[in-house]
Amino acid sequence: MRGLYEHSDLVWYLVGRDLRVRYRRSTIGLLWTLLQPLIMMLVLYVVFSHVFRFQVYRYPVYALAGILFWNFFQQSIVASMNSLRGNAAILQKLPVPKAVFPVATVISGVVNLCLALVPLLAILVATGQPLRPALLFLPVSILLAALFTLGAGLLLSPLAVFFHDVVELVGVVLMLLMYLTPIFYPMAIVPEQFRWMVRYNPIRSVLEVFRDPIYYGKIPPLPHVAVTVVIALVALAIGAAAFRKSSDRIPFYI
Amino acid sequence: MPTLTMPRPVIEMRDVSLCYRLAKQKIPSFKEYALHWMRGALTYEQLWALRDVTLRVERGESLGIVGKNGAGKSTLLKVISRVLPPTSGRALVHGRVAPILELGSGFDFELTGQENVYLNALLLGHPKREIEKRFDAIVEFSGLGDFIRTPIRNYSSGMLSRLAFSILTAWTPDILVLDESLAVGDVHFVKKCEERIAELQAHGTTLLLVSHFGEAVRAHCRRCIWLESGRLRADGRPDEVLAIYEESSEVALVANPADATISA
Repeated sequence: MRGLYEHSDLVWYLVGRDLRVRYRRSTIGLLWTLLQPLIMMLVLYVVFSHVFRFQVYRYPVYALAGILFWNFFQQSIVASMNSLRGNAAILQKLPVPKAVFPVATVISGVVNLCLALVPLLAILVATGQPLRPALLFLPVSILLAALFTLGAGLLLSPLAVFFHDVVELVGVVLMLLMYLTPIFYPMAIVPEQFRWMVRYNPIRSVLEVFRDPIYYGKIPPLPHVAVTVVIALVALAIGAAAFRKSSDRIPFYI
Repeated sequence: MPTLTMPRPVIEMRDVSLCYRLAKQKIPSFKEYALHWMRGALTYEQLWALRDVTLRVERGESLGIVGKNGAGKSTLLKVISRVLPPTSGRALVHGRVAPILELGSGFDFELTGQENVYLNALLLGHPKREIEKRFDAIVEFSGLGDFIRTPIRNYSSGMLSRLAFSILTAWTPDILVLDESLAVGDVHFVKKCEERIAELQAHGTTLLLVSHFGEAVRAHCRRCIWLESGRLRADGRPDEVLAIYEESSEVALVANPADATISA
């Protein structure tokens, strides 16, 4: 981690590169960031309200906020795992602090998340929902989500160097976790005997701190925020420690 | 010559050994790892890429490094560049190391030449402000002109190595690592490179030149080391070291005619 600060110019450049490669030359890139969650939300909306016949209050907003959060979390983790291997040639030759790659990946994920928030806010307005001051809490929510995600990314990215099948393995685990997180279903529909699994899933805390200001228009309860801060910092500490420990071995295996 | 307050070596290696620990099963997947681990069947092969290398290089020296494939040349450079930590022994390197990257390894082919100047120089550890200051000089030296604004996937390999060299030598590194790939390219640019290298050396840059053959080393270095199987076999004046290196290679070639036809 030391040296990350001295290389902050490099981090920002890598972020810019990610975004440029994604959005340059094509409006498709931008359109996709904005449209993909909307399409997903529409599908879920149809399935939930017309197939399963659940009535969830303002379901589009609920689901869309969840999808944006999950996209950010999942895409950042997968991209972090690929970031070290994708820069193998550099890591074999130059003494660059290796953490710059996962860090830059998560930061550009945050930028994508912020872009994707625009249509969500538009939907809020379109459905006659006033933009509440609680939305100003979102930067804090996003920061917590980013720290938590970075922790996971730092933990997993060296593993992806040592074992090439970890990326697929993590893909499966992430899918499982998605169903254990109330992304597109409300807590209320979870049967009593399974509810603890969802309740004690730390990702749920991070998600709700993000979704509460949007969906309820309220700042999340303070104890809940405090718990989430602890979760995010613990995740980051574990990830950073694991990354530091395996950092020296990365060029041997990449 | 600039006056030196304290002549300390730029590279000080004492009994440096480096071991690659390779799993014999050699399947880099977690599934295989878990299966082998459960059976207790994980065995490792130790490959010593460097053995007890002791080396002291002074500021401003020009050192050629010769040896066959797999002799440990690139491992030695990785230790000097602080990419790989030695398994045992002590390696002290003072100052900034600028290694020439294989064609394109520090480049992003989706980006323009201009963007790659920034990317590459940032990776070498230069802050953005410094790069802005030297950007024009880098482009001018590379001779790429307006091509600098086009994506580098359209560049020829000559253009890429010109750009790489221009970025690398825009600053005065304490240690400059080059390989003979530089000699490929047009005569005019090779001459410019040689002048630039001489200029850097005059400012105290230590030059490390890696080579399979002796020619480049004979032309540019005052000292040469020969690595074989990770050991330092000889260290001295290029003509002396190259003489025994070439002699031993010839013996090896005679012993193995298959190799001889390949290298002929």
